[in-house]
Amino acid sequence: MSARQALAKLPVALVALGAALMAAPLLWVVALSLKSNEALMADPNAVFDRHFTLANYRAIVGDGQVFGWILNSLIVSLGMTAGVLVLSSLAGYGFARLKFPGRNALFVVVLLGLAVPEQAVIIGRHQMFAWAALHNTYFALIMPGMAAPFGVFLMTQFFRAIPADLDEAALLDGASHFTVFWRVLLPLTIPAQATLGIFTFLSGWNEYWWPLISATRKDMFTLTVGIASQQMNFAQTEGLGFLMAQAVFAGLPILVVYLFFQKYIVQAVAGAAGR
Amino acid sequence: MKRRVWFALLFLLSSCAPHDQRTAVVIQRFFGACEADYGQQTDLAKADGECGIMTTMINRFEAENPDVRVSQNIVFWPGYDQLTAALSSNNPPDLVTMHGSVIADYQARGLLDPLDAGLAAQGIQPSDFTAAARRAVTLGGWTWGLPIDSWTTLWHVNLGLFRKAGLVRDGHPIMPHSPAELLAQARQFKARTGKPYFVQISANEYASFARNFYTLILQQGSQPFASPTRANFNTPQAAAALQVFRDIFTADLTTKNEDYSAAIAGFMAGEGGVVLVGTWMVSDFDAAAAKPGSALSGGYAVVPFPQLFARNVSWADGHNWVMPANPARTAKQRNAAYRFLRFFAAHDYDWSRTGHLPAMRSVIQTPQWQSLPHRAELASLAVTGTPLPKGLRRQFPIETIVGQEAAAAISGAKPISQALADMDRRVNAILNNL
Repeated sequence: MSARQALAKLPVALVALGAALMAAPLLWVVALSLKSNEALMADPNAVFDRHFTLANYRAIVGDGQVFGWILNSLIVSLGMTAGVLVLSSLAGYGFARLKFPGRNALFVVVLLGLAVPEQAVIIGRHQMFAWAALHNTYFALIMPGMAAPFGVFLMTQFFRAIPADLDEAALLDGASHFTVFWRVLLPLTIPAQATLGIFTFLSGWNEYWWPLISATRKDMFTLTVGIASQQMNFAQTEGLGFLMAQAVFAGLPILVVYLFFQKYIVQAVAGAAGR
Repeated sequence: MKRRVWFALLFLLSSCAPHDQRTAVVIQRFFGACEADYGQQTDLAKADGECGIMTTMINRFEAENPDVRVSQNIVFWPGYDQLTAALSSNNPPDLVTMHGSVIADYQARGLLDPLDAGLAAQGIQPSDFTAAARRAVTLGGWTWGLPIDSWTTLWHVNLGLFRKAGLVRDGHPIMPHSPAELLAQARQFKARTGKPYFVQISANEYASFARNFYTLILQQGSQPFASPTRANFNTPQAAAALQVFRDIFTADLTTKNEDYSAAIAGFMAGEGGVVLVGTWMVSDFDAAAAKPGSALSGGYAVVPFPQLFARNVSWADGHNWVMPANPARTAKQRNAAYRFLRFFAAHDYDWSRTGHLPAMRSVIQTPQWQSLPHRAELASLAVTGTPLPKGLRRQFPIETIVGQEAAAAISGAKPISQALADMDRRVNAILNNL
């Protein structure tokens, strides 16, 4: 192999090394999840012996509520995703294409939402939902996540990047603004919708804090809250295998989402980068 | 017409659905979930560990009380965020597991119901509780919870290594009676075994530092909280308490930079002679000692925190059931909740198999409890276990601050006087704003 050929393979080798470094902790988590808690408490290096068990996964699935929590997480994540896509697309179109008084000021207000951390509003939000007696409902779990300044920003930028000639031609042909939005521009934003949809779904799936304090009834727990509730005190010591199995279990649906939408995600990110 | 028929059918179908006539008691608890192993278990003798015993006790209660349904919200430890959220939503559970050190936070805001009358109606008197358990739930002359246990930091001893160090007499570990004796014994231990005397939890956790510190101050007859709203750490007693562990640290007589998991695994691997951790580890260490060839197979002993100063006391806390105030709770629900408490009081022995100390005096005195592994050595804690002053609020965050400053002093990151001054300032900043 010549020096030039070796040099050409260097990036691949570096990427492979990076991938291995990224995968190592994940594999470690999977390996720990297949060990008994007692063995790991006595010696964390027990992961290297040959005794593996599915007991930790049995313990998770053995709690019949876990499937209800998965369903709750799916409803919440999908509901949030649908809401964000609809609202962000409509708002993005409005900011990008419609002229109305105060448009720029309103856009700035929306963007300011990016700078407000959840911690700053969560008590007020909790009290508001308590006043409306909405806690322990899907509405309470989904609604706050639908306020997505990032989504509005992303869709606005995407709509702005589409040549205005397209909608002008449609308007000349007598199309309404909604027809232009729905039939002409929206199909062109599918890559952005996919990106926003995936990230919103992931964010909804991983959400912990708000469901923790809004869903105080066990049947309304999402998966993240539910599996955390299964942990005993000092789980990191006395239930390390169980803890790792929970991490794998909670992460599996996300992995499935990635596997199914991998092509779309890559296209979307590449497309967005190209712009 | 068609629509009416559909409605009638729907009504009939909904009438056919089984309607649960039982009175629901909603509880919020920690200790984890283990439905897979214990979901159907009602035989208390077959349950082990906090989660297993708690789950089985609740199953057993339901089996013995078919008119009551216990609806459990199992929460990630300790669950106070969820409780606060539920209270804020006017939807509190009927009973909640709560540490004695946290009761004042909720009681002071009128969020708990006193239990005296209800417990008395079930035949339970505060005088039935151990001194430590009673101190944990009594505030302003009222009883704010049913104690189910007391717990504190214990000295778990590797007897095999202690024997090698010449620190065993009549099969029992020789414990120090003063800071100087502790230092001498620790030096002797290291000289003869080549290992540190202590295996300590000193990384990513501050509770251990704070609890040891409290114990050593209390043992000198001092009190870090002169009143529930005022901390005083600028005292010679507080300095002396930190100096004990500073000397141990400086002389390399302890493991360093180990977190909770590493310290537990280290002790089980024979890394050192004594690990300072709570009552809940007794069963695990005892089981490890029973395994031939393990680092603890030379023997395992456990003792209360030794008396290094004038008074024989140990800082202690405990787990309790409390009843959040709820005007909407019906008399039937209240009665069912009190029956649940009576069941727990009656089964205090079963819960004490977790390793925690019983809350009932009658249990401590039984041969049944005393014959459990190592329990006889721990019985004195029912009297010597001492919480911080009742009425002191924010004990969890205060524990973190005290632990942080104590850790800084012990490791030498700060002079002891500076750490105590900072501790005093930071803790009083919290108390002054209550």
